[in-house]
Amino acid sequence: MSGKQIKQQADKTRRGFLKAATAGTAAATFGAVTLGPKEAQAASFDAEYDVVVCGGGGAGLPVALFSRWLGDKVVVYEKAATLGGTSFKAAYWYWVPNNAAMQKAGIPDSKEHFLRYVARLSQPQSFDPKAPKLGLSDWEYSMCEAIYDSSSVGTELLAEKGALPYRHVAPVPDYFAEMETIGASGRVLFPKDGAASMSDGGQVATRTLSTACRRDGVTVRTSHRVQKVILNDKREVIGVEVQNDEGTLRVKARKAVIFATGGFTHDPELRKNFLSIPAYGGCAAMTNEGDFIRISSTLGVQLRNMNYAWMCPISFEKAIAKDPSMIGCFSVAGDSMIFVDKNGKRVVNEKLHYNELAQKFFEWDGANAQFPYLILTSIWDQRAQDHSASHEYGRLIVPPGSDDRHVIKGATLEELAANIDARLQKYASHNGGMRISADYVQNLKATIKRYNEFAASGKDLDFHRGERGVDLLFNGNVKEEPGRKNPTMWPLSDKGPYYAAFVTGGTLDTKGGPKTNPEGQVLDIADQPIPGLYGVGNCVASASGRAYWAGGGTLGPIIGFAYRAANAAHKEPVRG
Amino acid sequence: MKSNLIAGSLVAAALCTTPALAADDLAAAKELTVRQCSQCHTFEKGEKHGQGPNLFGLIGRPAAAVDGFVFSDGIKEALQGKTWTVELLDQWLTDTLAVAPKAQMVYFQDEARVRAKLIRYLESLK
Repeated sequence: MSGKQIKQQADKTRRGFLKAATAGTAAATFGAVTLGPKEAQAASFDAEYDVVVCGGGGAGLPVALFSRWLGDKVVVYEKAATLGGTSFKAAYWYWVPNNAAMQKAGIPDSKEHFLRYVARLSQPQSFDPKAPKLGLSDWEYSMCEAIYDSSSVGTELLAEKGALPYRHVAPVPDYFAEMETIGASGRVLFPKDGAASMSDGGQVATRTLSTACRRDGVTVRTSHRVQKVILNDKREVIGVEVQNDEGTLRVKARKAVIFATGGFTHDPELRKNFLSIPAYGGCAAMTNEGDFIRISSTLGVQLRNMNYAWMCPISFEKAIAKDPSMIGCFSVAGDSMIFVDKNGKRVVNEKLHYNELAQKFFEWDGANAQFPYLILTSIWDQRAQDHSASHEYGRLIVPPGSDDRHVIKGATLEELAANIDARLQKYASHNGGMRISADYVQNLKATIKRYNEFAASGKDLDFHRGERGVDLLFNGNVKEEPGRKNPTMWPLSDKGPYYAAFVTGGTLDTKGGPKTNPEGQVLDIADQPIPGLYGVGNCVASASGRAYWAGGGTLGPIIGFAYRAANAAHKEPVRG
Repeated sequence: MKSNLIAGSLVAAALCTTPALAADDLAAAKELTVRQCSQCHTFEKGEKHGQGPNLFGLIGRPAAAVDGFVFSDGIKEALQGKTWTVELLDQWLTDTLAVAPKAQMVYFQDEARVRAKLIRYLESLK
């Protein structure tokens, strides 16, 4: 059958829905269907493309564009009604080693230097600068090499085509830039038309990427949820089953199906069984429910890095409320502000950057068999409220008139403590019956007194707040105080009113899933590619372990893998 | 479901007139709208804004002006001074970027039938 005939038949059957089930009301079933040689004929498909991309977010839109620019006929199926996925909510910094702007500015960034940095942070226990692969496994090493080799290539192509023009924010340091011999600055790029505060890149990038998709002839279908892959009798992936508001479509992929469907932040069962931590959720798009984990479970894949996630502190109450607009606390606001535990004591540097700060909530107290810091309370005064309130970066101190249901108030510390305790009791079934301790107010007053001394001297002798460059990077708005040494700290007022909010650790998304090779091909248990099946982004295994290398350490590498996957998929044989 | 689809097509055809629909069509329209839009929007009177503004009373109110919601420059440039009508909402849902090229909201819906359902529900919020 000629290509033209196939197309005509496919068009004729486009509306031939398999069944009239409504997405969202019918229980979703995931997995694979195998078609025999006859069924695999084009006639049984509702539509046909070279490349089917599942997911229209930070991985799916770039991979669709790269495929299209190679000449492939491409469709994007996005489960949500709008595009962008988690990346829409993100600041959309993207971390690109040895990027073109660095080269132009003469900032050196050798491959060796880059690999040392990622190896040290991803596998600190096996890191060995003298070992040929620095203590990484062969797979981890090859994935990290791919990031260095391809992220900039993909980035430049997206920029040249006007799909994602960027500006270089050279001064932004890697999160561990101060580590001797391995840290760097200059790898962070940001969408060109984004705000000066660099918080709205996701909205800008979603707009420019999706405009380019439609300009260049990528078919984009929103409110379409991919539920199954379709295999032929040779166990090659030749398409997908997609559910939309009216029923189920069968779609043929002549060359490849590329999953870019995000992680499992919003699937409590997968979270509970795979993550190493009892997180309440996170700020990923609400549609990130681990679809690819479930779909691929019938295909003999190798799940990797399932225990770790890209982490950030989140509002405990917004997570329980499943607030879809929640954004993680990427910048903890306020100088006259502290975090305290249920005993009214500080336990952490509040300005530690998000991925590392989020780990603190999951520290285990073996003697008492509990997570003592699972929920901490941020406490601030009127001064911080007046000068540090913001809509950006998921800050808990928000301007008047905005949604402040997560904020607890008190005219005095005594009243605040009583209100905190009352609010905790509202969530007894979520927090194990947590209450504040009997000596909370007394401890809190002592904590504030000690903190205020640190703030006055500029030296946090307990937790070293504000000592690292990255603490300052995410300090947020604070009142100008001429002459102070440490802009992250200021004494809390001895007069009310006071404010508080519950904070816990969350995931901006998970980073485990089927293992792929550096070309994005999903591997079977014998480490062989499953023909026609690709994965990019947070739906597949990241080689980063627990590390969050830098701002944009998610999206920059994803662009590299998207570029490689599109190129490998383009070379696939056309399958029947 | 089938009857909803047929009714939906009629709405699309009669978009500029006032469609008379049964309560179950409104329920279906609500279900679809909540599923598609609640990631960013709230619908009940007095509900807090999400990533997008609360949509209660949308039809007939000035565009890009709601108490307590900060609109992006892209939305303000394109929509300020306009009033939300059924026609403007239909254009908006067809392709937000065609109406406001720098809008934060990236939504496009080719199917008039689906747009009609969304409009049917949003119109009822008063």
